[in-house]
Amino acid sequence: MTVADSKFFAQDNVYLPHIAVIEKIVEETPGVRTFHFNLKDEKLRKEFTFASGQFAQYSVLGIGEAPFCISSSPTRPNHLEFAVQKVGKVTNALHRLGVSSEIGFRGPYGNSFPLDNLKGKSLVFVGGGIGLAPLRSLIWNVLDNRDKYNKVDIVYGARTPDDLCFKYDLEAWDKDKTVNMVTTVDREAEGWKGKVGVVPKILEEVAPPAKDTVAIVCGPPIMIRFTFPVLEKLGFKPGQILTTLEKRMKCGIGKCGRCNIGNLYVCRDGPVFSYAQIKDFVSSEY
Amino acid sequence: MANKKVSKKDIAKLLEQWSQQFAVFAPSKESGVAEILKWDGKDTSFLDWYRNTVIPPKASLLPQMEEMFRFQKGDDGYNIETPPKDENKRLIFGIRPCDARAMSILDMTFENAYEDPYYLAKRKNTVLVGLGCTNPCESCFCTSMGVSPAESIDVDLMLIDIGGYFLIEEVTGKGKELIAKTSGLQEATKEDEAKTKQAKEMVYNKVTRKLDTKGIKDRLLASFNDEEFWQKVAAKCISCGICTLLCPTCYCFDINDELVKQEGARFRSWDSCGFPNYTKMPMENPRQEKWRRVRQKVCHKYGFYPMTFDIIACTGCGRCIRLCPVNWDITQVIESVPDKTEAKK
Repeated sequence: MTVADSKFFAQDNVYLPHIAVIEKIVEETPGVRTFHFNLKDEKLRKEFTFASGQFAQYSVLGIGEAPFCISSSPTRPNHLEFAVQKVGKVTNALHRLGVSSEIGFRGPYGNSFPLDNLKGKSLVFVGGGIGLAPLRSLIWNVLDNRDKYNKVDIVYGARTPDDLCFKYDLEAWDKDKTVNMVTTVDREAEGWKGKVGVVPKILEEVAPPAKDTVAIVCGPPIMIRFTFPVLEKLGFKPGQILTTLEKRMKCGIGKCGRCNIGNLYVCRDGPVFSYAQIKDFVSSEY
Repeated sequence: MANKKVSKKDIAKLLEQWSQQFAVFAPSKESGVAEILKWDGKDTSFLDWYRNTVIPPKASLLPQMEEMFRFQKGDDGYNIETPPKDENKRLIFGIRPCDARAMSILDMTFENAYEDPYYLAKRKNTVLVGLGCTNPCESCFCTSMGVSPAESIDVDLMLIDIGGYFLIEEVTGKGKELIAKTSGLQEATKEDEAKTKQAKEMVYNKVTRKLDTKGIKDRLLASFNDEEFWQKVAAKCISCGICTLLCPTCYCFDINDELVKQEGARFRSWDSCGFPNYTKMPMENPRQEKWRRVRQKVCHKYGFYPMTFDIIACTGCGRCIRLCPVNWDITQVIESVPDKTEAKK
């Protein structure tokens, strides 16, 4: 799917947000919340479609706008979700909002995970911290169409047990016998029974075979940078590794300039990239 | 059909006539620096002093600061006002060929994937009347960038100085249409045409600064990770952003909100890849170090833009050289990019 395929914006001005209403707020970790929301206009709500991996621009009007991936799966269309870590001006303002607050929403933007290419393959999801948000959309998408895919491995980690996001999902995936769920934390912690160690190290232990497999990676840049070499060591070719990137963004549509990695704009050409696409720049620009 | 010409003494009359149909913009020093501003209805002294503007004409279509929309917060939630479409018909008089080419380069970005409604609404309603250079600056290097100082395919009409007259070339249908409706013009003679040809050649040869851009895209990509080179290139840069803000092909902008009580607006304003905040995220900044930002600026213009749009995003206008407070010189930088393309293969 290319950006221009998104026909959601019937209006001529792509920068105008639609109003969306927050319906539920989930406290993921002390600094991360997931917002469940819907578009206020019923007609738009019905027309709205997106694909796993796409992002949108969310506004607290008067404070500003910031990009977040849609973290829910299109296979569960009753509402939309996005997850926010409280780190800057807009994210702090979002965290001050309550249920039934209104936000600005425009999107969906960007490309998406290439579902057609993933069908029939084994999938290895590698996530860190809030980086699970975009993967989660795809994981639920895959699990809701389970017979179309082969093996599913999920390696997910955070600094401490408290920092693990989407704990309810981790639990569900752990119970799911068709999923190999491996959860890890960086350092030992009281009462923690899962793995201990950073995600790339644990991934190396899990050692999923590369044959007919695609790895999908998202997390903090440092985790991404250290995960690529591990995957390569396990025999994954750069074309078999997908990642979804985050950069400072303003417009979300390839105009404002700042989110480029090499000649590619994360908003226009991504946020989903294969490692092959960004290999030349990733060491020094990400 | 023969070209028309207009006497230099009649430029004010011509602009007056066009002012009936258009908001006419022309070079001005009213603000203290040379820029394209709304014509005041009489002054044509720019014909004497004008070499090029300091603030590029892109400012007429991508203003330094621009309101995107307004909103109100009421009891039943937010109301976002759809901004009125800019229907003003503009005529920019006196744009130089380098800056007109820059508009064509900006169009590529603003038309790509999603149309930018603010820029394109203004662009579609704007007639560009080019004015050929007679006295290029030492810093100009347009002829190395596929631009000729007194010729243009990027304007609607092109005026070339042939002594007491400007010869008028009708470059586009839009330009032809305008001339058909314009009175007080004279037919250019064969002699005028010969003078025009001569004037074009003469001024072309006055652009003495040359830049060889052959293979530059590949050279830059091959040297992208040569930190030592980029450190050297960036050493004296003070990250003031002038070379980008006043570059006619630079389009980067920031978006910010303003809220007073229950009324607010969203604005966009020029931004620069030279500023550390440009890419700063709360937890990371991929271009905190200056050399990474300078590398981005150079590689974007001469490497990434050509990769996407098949054209270098530089027209040789020379502003970044003329206006740099520390004499950073893009032509020297481009020429010093090491050729590692063989090693890479």
